[in-house]
Amino acid sequence: MTGALRYEWMRIRTIRSSYWMSALAIALTFGITLLMGLSISAADLDDEFDSVDQVTTYIVLAGASGPFIPVMAAPFYAVMGVMAVGHEYRYGTNKATLSAIPDRVAVLAAKCVVLVAWVLASIAITLLLGMAITWLLLDNPQFGSHLVRPLLNYTGYCVGFAVAGMGLAALLRNQTGAIVAALTWPLVVEPIIYGVSLAISETTGGGIGKLTNLLPSSAGRRSMFDPYEAIAGFGNGEVWSIGAAVIVFWLGVILVLAAGATSFVKRDA
Amino acid sequence: MALIQARGLSKTFGSKAAVRGLSFDVVPGSVTGFLGPNGAGKSTTMRLMLGLDNGEGVTTYDGVPYRELKQPLRQVGSVLDAKPFHPTRKAVNHLRMLAASNSIPNSRVTDVVNLVGLGDVANAKPKTFSLGMGQRLGLATALLGDPGTLILDEPANGLDPQGVHWLRNMLKTLAGQGRSIFVSSHLLSEMALMADSLVVVGRGTLIASGKMSDFISTSNRNAVLIRVENAELMTRELRARKAAVVTEPDGKLAITGMDSDRVGGLAHELGVRVFELSNREATLEEAFLDATGASEEFRASMGFGNQGAAFGGPMMGQQGYGAQGGYGDQPGQQGGYGGQPGQQGGYGGQPGQQGGYGGQPGQQGGYGQPPPGYGAPPPPPHDTGTSQDGSRRDGDTA
Ligand SMILES: Nc1ncnc2c1ncn2[C@@H]1O[C@H](COP(=O)(O)OP(=O)(O)OP(=O)(O)O)[C@@H](O)[C@H]1O
Ligand SMILES: [Mg+2]
Repeated sequence: MTGALRYEWMRIRTIRSSYWMSALAIALTFGITLLMGLSISAADLDDEFDSVDQVTTYIVLAGASGPFIPVMAAPFYAVMGVMAVGHEYRYGTNKATLSAIPDRVAVLAAKCVVLVAWVLASIAITLLLGMAITWLLLDNPQFGSHLVRPLLNYTGYCVGFAVAGMGLAALLRNQTGAIVAALTWPLVVEPIIYGVSLAISETTGGGIGKLTNLLPSSAGRRSMFDPYEAIAGFGNGEVWSIGAAVIVFWLGVILVLAAGATSFVKRDA
Repeated sequence: MALIQARGLSKTFGSKAAVRGLSFDVVPGSVTGFLGPNGAGKSTTMRLMLGLDNGEGVTTYDGVPYRELKQPLRQVGSVLDAKPFHPTRKAVNHLRMLAASNSIPNSRVTDVVNLVGLGDVANAKPKTFSLGMGQRLGLATALLGDPGTLILDEPANGLDPQGVHWLRNMLKTLAGQGRSIFVSSHLLSEMALMADSLVVVGRGTLIASGKMSDFISTSNRNAVLIRVENAELMTRELRARKAAVVTEPDGKLAITGMDSDRVGGLAHELGVRVFELSNREATLEEAFLDATGASEEFRASMGFGNQGAAFGGPMMGQQGYGAQGGYGDQPGQQGGYGGQPGQQGGYGGQPGQQGGYGGQPGQQGGYGQPPPGYGAPPPPPHDTGTSQDGSRRDGDTA
């Protein structure tokens, strides 16, 4: 396992796309934070938000604790995850890798560990920058314990995207296909299912709207809302609790990872 | 320095059997060539040997299956694909990455980079590499752990003549150090110069395995050639003695089933004047086409496949290679195309010797540089007489 970790640590550091993905994720988030910090500090806070606590969270997370601005960094981490395994298939290096490290579980575990560490470091930078901007631009920002839950779930969301991307690449054995899948699922498939089931439940009055609780990406997104009930309940009266949202998200991630890992370990290299 | 034992290797893709019950040994201290027509299952066999494909059978390296080897790169080096690396990761980083997985020091990376002649481009991105440079990088990965065993799938593919020559010398030197080398190649002439033993497959099954000389001696192309005054009489009398006779286009008789002493004796008895009497030895290529003619997976509609068939028996038509007189039909002489094992080859020359193409060993060749070649690290424990400085690196492309 240490050999696999050393290999993977070297792998991730020696391709430029690792740095690009992180840099883009950080820069984009930073840009949004900056814009928000500038505009909101000038605006009248109490009209839009309940408290300075929530405004602080909102700006630190570049709007991710509200419903309107997506987590800009997540697709980049998903692509990084895809590349961790997808590169091997794309460039035919998987046989060389598995010849060096025949223990496939170790190979995949090492990829997972290094990827998560990389993404965590990247998120740490993002959040520190977000806090710095907020501290500079917001009058009297509140960096209290209220930040912990949204920040943790934001981090989990990004890490989950990376891990799911890796699982998808191992499952599909095709980098392009995995990137397409990793991006269209949260951005296209889930919103369509979401919209359709809400529309159905509105016209038929049935409980089908509850099914939207099972959409993992939406659940993960919801888990960082602040305040949760006020935002998550928007347009749908039967939203599960925040704990359930976190569980649904991670179940989705683990499902994809498990399917990919099984394929990676069992199939021909 | 491992003995490779492959036992009962089988693999099916869907309903198609790619490899069927293949068993063979590769012994230390030899280069074993792995031959077979396209689609015969060579690459699949190698993947099975390395535990990359799921199939039946086991391959052990001194008794240990690949997937149970600790730090496998230190024991078995392999190259299966032509360009198995990320196009923008520097060659040296690619090697360091693989080295890290098996606790191989970075100093060894520098060594192998120089060994394969990529020293000048170690910091370049492989996307700029030619096919041959890619092969060299592949070889560098195989040599990283200084392994006792090498498994190489078509390593000569894309190498220029200097590169092929260099590869051959290197593999022979490594084998001379007691390592086991298992190498597939389509270049039969090259194989003839390089390999000591052969494993020949067709349609996934074993056709032959053992010493190359034994394999070649099975070919129908081995014949006694005689040019006589009265060919008709000679043919009749030979056939009466159960020898098979074919009249070659140049009028010579090609005789199988009787050795040259007896053919000469018979001519003497009959009072037939003999102008020429010689033994023709088959080339590896001829023996290969003979052996695999019926098992070729993708038979060309013209040419190759038919030629293979032409060698099916001495009584058949004479359209084949070598029958035209141009290809090595003089006994004891060089085959212009392939050459006999242990004989001077067409362009490469004998290992340890320098063919006309390559310039003098240790001297500046056509466009090469003074040869770093193979051989500085590590010194061979026992010299086999193969020259190390006979090889050259083509410095201009590197
Ligand atoms: N991944 C695969 N899926 C399906 N069939 C395969 C696969 N790999 C190989 N085959 C089939 O198995 C057979 C053996 O292929 P293999 O590549 O081992 O042959 P080979 O001897 O290496 O051929 P070549 O000389 O062309 O390299 C072929 O019929 C091929 O079509
Ligand atoms: Mg092949």
